[in-house]
Amino acid sequence: MAEKYEINQTEVWDGNYAAAHALRQAQVDVVSAYPITPSTPIVENYGNFVSNGYIDGEFVMVESEHAAMSGCVGAAAAGGRVATATSSQGFALMVEVLYQASGMRLPIVLNVVNRALASPLNVRGDHSDMYLGRDAGWINLDAFNAQEAYDMNLCAFRIGEHLDVRLPVMVHQDGFITSHTAQNINPLQDEDAYKFVGVYQPVEEMLDFSKPVTYGAQTEEDWHYEHKARQHSALMRSTRVIDEVFADFKALTGREYKRVESYMMEDAEVAVVALGTTVETLRQAAKELRKEGLKAGVIAPRCFRPFPFDQIAEVCGDAKAVCVMDRSAPGGAMGAMFNEISAAILATGKRPLVTNYIYGLGGRDFSVDEAKRIFKEQKAHADAGHITTQIQQFSGLRGPRLGFFESKRS
Amino acid sequence: MRGAAATEKRGMRELGAEKLVGWDEVTHGVVINSFEGDAANIASLTSEERIYSDFNSYTATVASWRVVKPVYNRDICIDCQNCWVWCPDTSIISRDKQMLGIDYDHCKGCGVCVEVCPTNPKSLLMFIEAEENDSALSQWPEKKKKEKE
Amino acid sequence: MVEIRWHSRAGQGAVTGAKGLGDVVSTTGKQVQAFALYGSAKRGAAMRAYNRIDDEQIINHEKFMYPDFVLVIDPALAFTDNITDNDKASTKYIITTHLSKEDLIAQIPSLQERKERVFVVDCMKISLDTIGRAIPNTPMLGAFVKISGMFELDYFLDRMKKVLSKFPQKIIDSNMDAITTAYNTVK
Repeated sequence: MAEKYEINQTEVWDGNYAAAHALRQAQVDVVSAYPITPSTPIVENYGNFVSNGYIDGEFVMVESEHAAMSGCVGAAAAGGRVATATSSQGFALMVEVLYQASGMRLPIVLNVVNRALASPLNVRGDHSDMYLGRDAGWINLDAFNAQEAYDMNLCAFRIGEHLDVRLPVMVHQDGFITSHTAQNINPLQDEDAYKFVGVYQPVEEMLDFSKPVTYGAQTEEDWHYEHKARQHSALMRSTRVIDEVFADFKALTGREYKRVESYMMEDAEVAVVALGTTVETLRQAAKELRKEGLKAGVIAPRCFRPFPFDQIAEVCGDAKAVCVMDRSAPGGAMGAMFNEISAAILATGKRPLVTNYIYGLGGRDFSVDEAKRIFKEQKAHADAGHITTQIQQFSGLRGPRLGFFESKRS
Repeated sequence: MRGAAATEKRGMRELGAEKLVGWDEVTHGVVINSFEGDAANIASLTSEERIYSDFNSYTATVASWRVVKPVYNRDICIDCQNCWVWCPDTSIISRDKQMLGIDYDHCKGCGVCVEVCPTNPKSLLMFIEAEENDSALSQWPEKKKKEKE
Repeated sequence: MVEIRWHSRAGQGAVTGAKGLGDVVSTTGKQVQAFALYGSAKRGAAMRAYNRIDDEQIINHEKFMYPDFVLVIDPALAFTDNITDNDKASTKYIITTHLSKEDLIAQIPSLQERKERVFVVDCMKISLDTIGRAIPNTPMLGAFVKISGMFELDYFLDRMKKVLSKFPQKIIDSNMDAITTAYNTVK
């Protein structure tokens, strides 16, 4: 039996350490990992906890991230509770196996400490890695601060392992800004956390010798499509379980989470949509702007996958201008989240002025002042009744103004 | 042949002739069960005694793929197990290191068993599929004398 | 909101100092943030660490700040780094140096119009004398407690002991000694 870890009601932890404690409290059986900045301390601390007797588990050191996720797939198929962490290039190397994990319906929890993708090499935070894995069939939860990195990990096990879901879950946190920023955290005591997560229930586990199974079968055109459809259906329908788990978590901790987080959207005239720590910086800006009379609101998909298509449109309300911020180089298109939010709004009868900002690449600072400027720009669109800038712009970029596409709307 | 008897019992289907079902009926995570019921004791059972699941390739036959077949002659065999080791389709039936015959449901007629048989004459020989085994055995060749240098 | 910027070299313990300060402050019921600008920097490279302290949950994640306190824990950085970046008319500077305050200010033009707000303490010497190694972060905490007036010294020492409770008694004692000496000698 693992030793109890003494925890204060308030701890000052960074996002990585908070996530590592969540893995410890969930008593993860196997972490197969190849550490990479800035996610390293998560798996490093898991190993530490195992060595010091705080977890009955095993840390498996492998030779690459591809092998790390392969180890996770093997251990999960064998019937264990499994988790790991990675970032950036490591995530990119994992991608092939991410699809295997979701296709095999293995509820692995992957902490993605978001970091830019090279080249040029960069260790700091942006969402390139998150966007790279968005079609991999995983549930994607996004934490905006260290407390949430802890909370989302506990929820991730409950959601992914639910018998109606059985899908792997990524928990995203911003590299350095969350992962290496220590803040006040209110963790649960070990027994309460474990009780919330629950005892792992294996499904079709390979180590059940009374029922031998084959994982990783080949299916050609006669089967593949049906299997992928069933997987997609499970992912889309996981929303019910996600809502239930969030409700249970609120009952336990008082901390409320929703698949779409909205801030002062009830009467918002202008709104900005973002992910990660930027959400909180935007809230700070919106709060200050409200004092100046600007009805600003913030929208954030807590659950990036399954994408809350219907709820996004709902929270947009009667906003006249909506700006979607993508922290990933769009590679020859509008930002990915801009496209998804635009499509969600288009499915309603409403036609707010929707624009796109690319920002924060490679960890470029996003300040409260810049957030305020963007809100005010939305107000200018709303007052003019049309988009007064190009549709895609770049925030915090040096050099001549960069932007693409003019609005043809009048 | 015991292999042939087992075929009738299991009701073999042609490999590839699965029942195609809709997306809501396919297995969870493409996980395939190998056996029906409790298989905790499976290692102590012979393949004839095991109850394989419909998804197990053992319940499918490739007999029709064969143009020529190996025929086994018990009178000459020395039970060396060479054919059992080399057969790529585990179609040599052997129990307690005693050769019993060919599993004609899964043999594709590749002839490897004949190639590796060390007896003189060989204890396994290839015949065209239409030839009855009794008839094949009656045509078995004599022992070859070693040619002197 | 109180905002603090640490100027340090990678390896001198600014991050540990900022987190240690955060740990202590959190026990008073306040909300804290401790972070740093670092990454692939090698040991010895100039780096900055930051603290935010507030009564409400801190949701501002920008790295930019107008610091209330600038803590310089490496003697050379006062000369080579722009320690007065984005400062306010009230920003206080605590600089580790073996020089007297007058000599230091005489050599750094940017400090001359801020001399009322400049304080010096020799964290290097104090840490060598007490801890036995050049770890200037702990003495700086003592100097900060004095200049900020945020805590009584005894209260801070008591909380700091709890933060360090997993270390051997000898290390705890020498750290307490370092904090006290800096508290008494900063001027």
